[in-house]
Amino acid sequence: MQANWSIGDFNFYRDYLSALVKDDYLRNTQSLTMTFSGALTLTDLNDFISPSQACIKPVQQSNSEVPEPGGATTEIRIDSSGGYYEVSSSQTQRKLEQAQISLNDCLACSGCITSAESVLITSQSHAEVLAFLAANENKAVPVISIAPQSLASLAASLPASVTLHQVLRRVRTFCKEALGFAHVFDITFARHVSLKEHVREFEERRQASKLPMMASACPGWICYAEKAHSEMLPYISRTKSPQQVMGTLVKYWLGEKWEKRPNEIYHVTVMPCYDKKLEASREDFRNEEYATRDVDCVITTGELDLMMRDKGWDLSVPVIGESDDEEDDVFPTLLQHPGSSSGSYLQAIVNHVVKTWPVPLEASVKIVRNADFEEYTLQERDEGKIVFKGAKCYGFRNLQNVVRKVGKGDGLTGRRKARKEAERGYDYVEVMACAAGCVNGGGQLKRGEGNREWTKEVEGAYWRSGRTTEEGIADELALEVMGQELEFRTQYRAVESDVIGTAVKW
Amino acid sequence: MTSYKIHCVAELSAHDDRVWDVSWNPNEPLLASCSADKNVRLYNYSRTEAGKVKVSLYHTIPTGHTKTVRAVGWSPSGKTLATASFDSNIGIWEQEDGDSEWECVGTLEGHETECKSVGYSNTGTLLASCGRDKTVWIWEVLPDSEFECVSVLMEHTQDVKCIAWHPSEEILASASYDDTIKLYIDDPSDDWYCFSTLTGHTSTVWSLAWSPTHHYLASGSDDRTIRIWQRIEGHKWENVLILEGHERSVYSVSWGRGNGKAAEGEEYIGWLASVGGDGVIRVWEVTEEKGKAKARKMIEKKGSHGVHDVNSVRFCGREGWETVLATAGDDGIIRVWEIAG
Repeated sequence: MQANWSIGDFNFYRDYLSALVKDDYLRNTQSLTMTFSGALTLTDLNDFISPSQACIKPVQQSNSEVPEPGGATTEIRIDSSGGYYEVSSSQTQRKLEQAQISLNDCLACSGCITSAESVLITSQSHAEVLAFLAANENKAVPVISIAPQSLASLAASLPASVTLHQVLRRVRTFCKEALGFAHVFDITFARHVSLKEHVREFEERRQASKLPMMASACPGWICYAEKAHSEMLPYISRTKSPQQVMGTLVKYWLGEKWEKRPNEIYHVTVMPCYDKKLEASREDFRNEEYATRDVDCVITTGELDLMMRDKGWDLSVPVIGESDDEEDDVFPTLLQHPGSSSGSYLQAIVNHVVKTWPVPLEASVKIVRNADFEEYTLQERDEGKIVFKGAKCYGFRNLQNVVRKVGKGDGLTGRRKARKEAERGYDYVEVMACAAGCVNGGGQLKRGEGNREWTKEVEGAYWRSGRTTEEGIADELALEVMGQELEFRTQYRAVESDVIGTAVKW
Repeated sequence: MTSYKIHCVAELSAHDDRVWDVSWNPNEPLLASCSADKNVRLYNYSRTEAGKVKVSLYHTIPTGHTKTVRAVGWSPSGKTLATASFDSNIGIWEQEDGDSEWECVGTLEGHETECKSVGYSNTGTLLASCGRDKTVWIWEVLPDSEFECVSVLMEHTQDVKCIAWHPSEEILASASYDDTIKLYIDDPSDDWYCFSTLTGHTSTVWSLAWSPTHHYLASGSDDRTIRIWQRIEGHKWENVLILEGHERSVYSVSWGRGNGKAAEGEEYIGWLASVGGDGVIRVWEVTEEKGKAKARKMIEKKGSHGVHDVNSVRFCGREGWETVLATAGDDGIIRVWEIAG
């Protein structure tokens, strides 16, 4: 760069260069501000992965001028009001646009991980649900499906005598009477189908020697693996999560029964997790022909709670007949899947192995580091031969350890690589991104600072079903829907980054 | 008052690009350095019979890191070296036996972007790292160079520049572009947590160093000052001194035992060295009078790396070498200095 420097310029330039080189240059760039609505403000979340320091998207300006080799033709100046100007060599100034970041930008970029929360606010929120219902005029059948973990979160703030089933009845009454939903389901039957498909896939992979298989129900984990650990993708089960199985059942199976096209049903889910919004937005779950998604809108437990407050609905007041047995609306309600409050994926696999193994097996459980990381081993009772090794692994830090264990140790030399290859690995891992699993999801109700105590209460409430639904009925119906031409599998793709981390090449 | 002089005893121009960090092996006569040229270099040092310090290049580790190696740190045993790289990985290096090559026995992945600093705890059972992704990671060191992630701390709101383990307790400190210093301890029934946030610096905190007496923490900042924080009680740390003089960012601070003496009625704490963008090495003698910290500037060495920034300063911790320190500069040079009274 040719220029006449004054000492002052030199010092400025030196400081600037030094800041750039020492990687402290971000002080000079505008930080990205994201607006969180009250209900969506995340607090006290152990395992939340926050957006990157600076989204790199704003600095990707297309520059039509071809710069001279080795010569900087423009610089960026900041005026007193904080506006950014691009100044070219001919001293003409152009005010730079404020960066606009869309969900697609976020999905296509590995600059941040799980920043879905801030981006999805406007496209999937309870306000969007209310707006849709207000403008609907009976054109689409409004359906809402609720996760049992969300019901548990609501139940935990009520007296312990109130069961999950009673909470479901109260929420159902609210959704029908106050909001105008035609059908209110819980999502456990979809999970029943998902678990069966999951077991079927495990068996396929075992026969093809493609183990371990890792759970696919947690969108935080999927998102993280796609962006940061693409080497894990072949191991992740391709079975749809309960939410997306529900999407398929509502839009296509029920749609056919009701003689409705997919876009004539408006499907909302209530989830313990923000990242479920991201999952529902995946292009795999969108029908181009009808321009509709399998799940149109995902709201969190917190947002459902907010809607009840806004409408003056008191969940502590019983509704008529809430303890009576009732005829199921299409799907069996509140199926308990014993194992974990995050969906019992490992337990389903364990049950399957025990049931199908030719000789009796004995199970043992070992806590690896904390309650969020447990190993399950199945041994032949007589011979002692280990036939299955699985793990339950929750939370970001444990997830790192599973990734290390399952990974093949690329880049290692000599001794350690050999040792790693000799180890017996896992056959199955139930992975969840949140510590304590889905009952502690980012979308759950929050209570004060004592997050752990509160999570225990939610866990307790989760298992107070108040009703036992015959699994036989569920199995029969599951068999029926799984015999239809419905798609219960999906796919993943590595998000390659051309812009990882920093725009500066070192 | 003794007057001190500093003189350069060795100049090592072994790197092809800016040198970011140096680290003295706690047990062996070895000095490690790392650079933007992606290599780590190891040097032997000894004294001649006349007492002259001799330093010579002994080994180069082509790390395989794909970007700058930003920091190096030895385990307390001196048998393992950790590297932190802008390629977002931590490398773990060991020799099978004393004569063999240094080989990579493990990599720790997890940071999303540039890794800035790495360090072993005093017992060597824990390893911490930090980076531009605002996180601080703690790993448990298991046998056979195996590691398990025990915590990912997301307390800082900006780039984390540096971590430093307390010399005798499991207390971890981190310093950030968010101008704060955070202190962490383990809750054995749960996870590590931040028990204190030290505020006062008005710009990026670049570097941290615990005193040899364990009850002071020094921090160097882009605000051109060094702050000294004292342990008032248990887990309460307070700023007790602000050292001024640097004309540009303070990039690195190091606390050594030195061989100074306290005046009557005072406790001797140690020597504190600082370097930064102004190219000056400053050394303070820190003492304590009735529990109150005092610092006296004993050395001001201008142009220590010519016109270049000095990125790192480290006192040697080994016995008999307390007056020796090393600096690393943007000029690609490592200088070893000795302070004499």
